[in-house]
Amino acid sequence: MNIYKPELVEIMDIIQETPDIKTFKLQFVSKKMREEFSFLAGQFAEYSVFGEGECTFCIASPPTRTEYLECSFKIAGKVTGALNKMNKGDIIGLRGPYGNHFPLEQMEGKNVVFIAGGIGLAPVRCIIWNVLDLRDKFKDVTIVYGARSVSDLVYKRELEEWKKMDGVKTVVTVDPGGETPDWTGEVGFVPSIVEKVAPASENSIAIICGPPIMIKYTFPVLEKLGFTEDNMITTLENRMKCGLGKCGRCNIGNVYVCKDGPVFSYKEMLELPQEY
Amino acid sequence: MKLMKIEKGNLSKLMEHLKKDNFRVIGVTPDGKRFSEKFDETLNFMQSDTPPTSISFKEHFFLKTEALFYYKNNNGAIDLKEPVIDERKTVVIGARPCDTASLPILSKVFNWDYADDFFNRRVENSIIIGMKCNYQDDYCFCNEVGLSQNSEKGSDIFLIPDGDAFIAKTITDKGNKFIEEFAIFFEEYTGNPPAENKNGHDEKKFDYESVKKWLDNNFEHKFWDEAGETCLSCGQCAFVCPTCHCFDIVDEQCGTCAGVRAKNWDACQFSLFTKHASGHNPRDSREKRYRQRISHKFKYYNDKFSEILCTGCGRCSRGCPVSTDILELLEEIDQIAHSTTN
Repeated sequence: MNIYKPELVEIMDIIQETPDIKTFKLQFVSKKMREEFSFLAGQFAEYSVFGEGECTFCIASPPTRTEYLECSFKIAGKVTGALNKMNKGDIIGLRGPYGNHFPLEQMEGKNVVFIAGGIGLAPVRCIIWNVLDLRDKFKDVTIVYGARSVSDLVYKRELEEWKKMDGVKTVVTVDPGGETPDWTGEVGFVPSIVEKVAPASENSIAIICGPPIMIKYTFPVLEKLGFTEDNMITTLENRMKCGLGKCGRCNIGNVYVCKDGPVFSYKEMLELPQEY
Repeated sequence: MKLMKIEKGNLSKLMEHLKKDNFRVIGVTPDGKRFSEKFDETLNFMQSDTPPTSISFKEHFFLKTEALFYYKNNNGAIDLKEPVIDERKTVVIGARPCDTASLPILSKVFNWDYADDFFNRRVENSIIIGMKCNYQDDYCFCNEVGLSQNSEKGSDIFLIPDGDAFIAKTITDKGNKFIEEFAIFFEEYTGNPPAENKNGHDEKKFDYESVKKWLDNNFEHKFWDEAGETCLSCGQCAFVCPTCHCFDIVDEQCGTCAGVRAKNWDACQFSLFTKHASGHNPRDSREKRYRQRISHKFKYYNDKFSEILCTGCGRCSRGCPVSTDILELLEEIDQIAHSTTN
């Protein structure tokens, strides 16, 4: 078997999330793959534009919804630039799913707090929908999401949907200066909004993803609220090529982010050397 | 294990015979630099007291550039085609223990969970005829990393010079079958079993266990600032190394609508190796990259796969344009480790 050869997927729909972020709805070309492909929330894939190369992002749709696979990407380099030029009906490649996943079983019967910044909502959105699709298994859900400005918020339609749901507290914020005159949400950085929302730590677990600086300042806030090191979960990113634990670039010490991660508890992160 | 004997002249004839038999035969080039199908047919390289080749034989198993698949874009319809791999049986002759050992070491990373069949098929198709080494210079340190000049690790057949002949020791079933198939070139060995030759040196240049223990606890240490200071980030060390296996995956377009996705050698010393699209780079200095090189070889790989990612061949040091000597650095770590424990 050729572990480096991707499967073909068709772009069924494209959603322009922000000026530089798009979501693709994807479907496998092969019927067999459509039936057999399965993954867990938090896993990632390698996406190919043939002629340009591959890049790594999480699967942004939940495993509970199988009609499409979704990914969201920000235009940053060569391959995302090429993806940005693709149209509905175009074919790209997909290898995966790779890596570990969010501890869904550990989350069952607990209050769940989701904290995300910018495009960091993509992996969190996958687990949010996974939890909401299996609503009875979890207690209260709190979502705190922030972006630089109103126009940088992703999944806007879903943020509204979450706000309306019972038993789900959704707080959306933008960085100071990023608000518009008609903005009714919060203004402030994610860590301070988390402090303000103050989700209860008892029988709770927090999932955090966003820019490194946001993650760094959110952990102490949660710790102050009483969250323990193994009840704070994040997902790391590192440059990857193979996704298979071979090409040698995503390691942090003796941990390969592509195989031992990308999901780590704060406790596990504290044991890693500071090289990420 | 079986012991046979083969005259040097017969070894040449065997190689000629194999070539005619459509084997891919790989030996050392006349300039002594690398392993190649265009090897020195006089088998002059079958002397155990000459330096190892400048470049390891890794390039025949883990290719410098490997086509992973070909793609074609016909007005939006994508067609992917598997590459054709040279499936000829391969015989590698005259590899030293510091080369042969690299195959079982590399096999670990190429097979955890996901099997890299590009590497595996090449190894499966090959007979590795290793040879005892009698060479020793200031860069060698195979003993320190758990090997020796007599290590049979990775060999299917191991040759020990015996006058104008070689004692051929079969190590694997594959080696056994090979000798049976080409029995006419071999004769029974009636002498005494070859003595367990003493290693090239008795005193270890450094103690691996103390180096490992030091690496376990000293991710942050001023030693790293000095170790990486003079590095040019040229990647020479990785390219001549028998165990370095980092690679890149790139698309190489041929014309407007077709091309190949290839896996190319890469090196952790390159500044772009770990750079994110956002511009963030976890290993943004030579010091951090050099720490990665040493730690990957002598700590991380061992933690993960119970193998040291180094065979002590010394090639990286012999070829380094700024004379960075990995052995000196390991000795230094050993000294620091001892001075802090005492």
